Amino acid sequence: MNRHSDALSVTFAALADPTRRAMLLRLSQGEISVSALAEPFQMSLPAATKHLRVLEHAGLVQKSRDAQRRPCRINAEPLKQATDWMAQYRQFWEGSLDRLDAYLQQLQAAEKSQDSDVEALSAKSSVNLNPATDITNKPAFKSAAKKTRSQKHTTSKSAPERKAP
Amino acid sequence: MSNTALSPFVITREFRAPRALLWQVQTQAQHLQHWLSPEGFHTIHADMDFRVGGRYHYGLEGPNGLQMWGLQQFLEIVPERKIVHLQSFSTPEGGLGRHPMAPAWPAYMHVTATWEDSANGGTIHTISWQPHESDDAGIATFDGARDGMNAGFAGTFAKLDAYLVKLQG
Repeated sequence: MNRHSDALSVTFAALADPTRRAMLLRLSQGEISVSALAEPFQMSLPAATKHLRVLEHAGLVQKSRDAQRRPCRINAEPLKQATDWMAQYRQFWEGSLDRLDAYLQQLQAAEKSQDSDVEALSAKSSVNLNPATDITNKPAFKSAAKKTRSQKHTTSKSAPERKAP
Repeated sequence: MSNTALSPFVITREFRAPRALLWQVQTQAQHLQHWLSPEGFHTIHADMDFRVGGRYHYGLEGPNGLQMWGLQQFLEIVPERKIVHLQSFSTPEGGLGRHPMAPAWPAYMHVTATWEDSANGGTIHTISWQPHESDDAGIATFDGARDGMNAGFAGTFAKLDAYLVKLQG
């Protein structure tokens, strides 16, 4: 697990430089020699080699020992790990927005039927989240949260099927 | 969602609610605690200081008592239209936390959220995010090329992802 987390950090660090990202884009079009790779960036061969070494260290690029003439090749696997990691944020947001959708429907339904405004409803159903007490009062909070959830009838359960296009 | 493969770090949704209500529900702690958490998690801490330079510090608790602490630091606020914030993992005390799977990088996600009226009276909400270099990341400072990085990341990732899709047939 440690090895993986190190690799991921190394990948992101390698991707943090615009020149290296441009190099990767160039490499995604096909194999290319180091000197040809360096050319559009108006940098010396040693400078280009330095960037390549970072990419290589991150496992993003593979090249042969004779760096001057033999082509470099992109390796997609670390990129996939990096994008997978980024995708965790998608899961967080998708899940939260499902709940937001259900919560909005609940608020609007309550507004119509009970003539109560949004403020009143949220005040009624929310718990006191005073930072000083919320952790120590966890059992109380939990039961309050459960009660709130059941008041919200079934909208949260049916949320997934109501994903917006 | 059909575009997921090509722009993996953007979510667009239409909500059947007016922009003003969405804004209220997405910027006030008493509302955020009801929805800003993945399935299986509930809010145990919600502390909002909603202004540019302010922050939302929250704690979530999931299965088996697993706790997740997060911090949003607000960089830009255009009422009922747009919020830009830095998202990071946090500690219960409100300090900067690290993702257990990638302790060194990236410390922040740069998140842009926008709200627009939709044609049928609802609201179109878009969230996009990209890695953001942390001041203390250290690891990425070896070439000093910080400028332009943030602007470049999103587009680059989209292109690289397109390439990955191509590779995988």
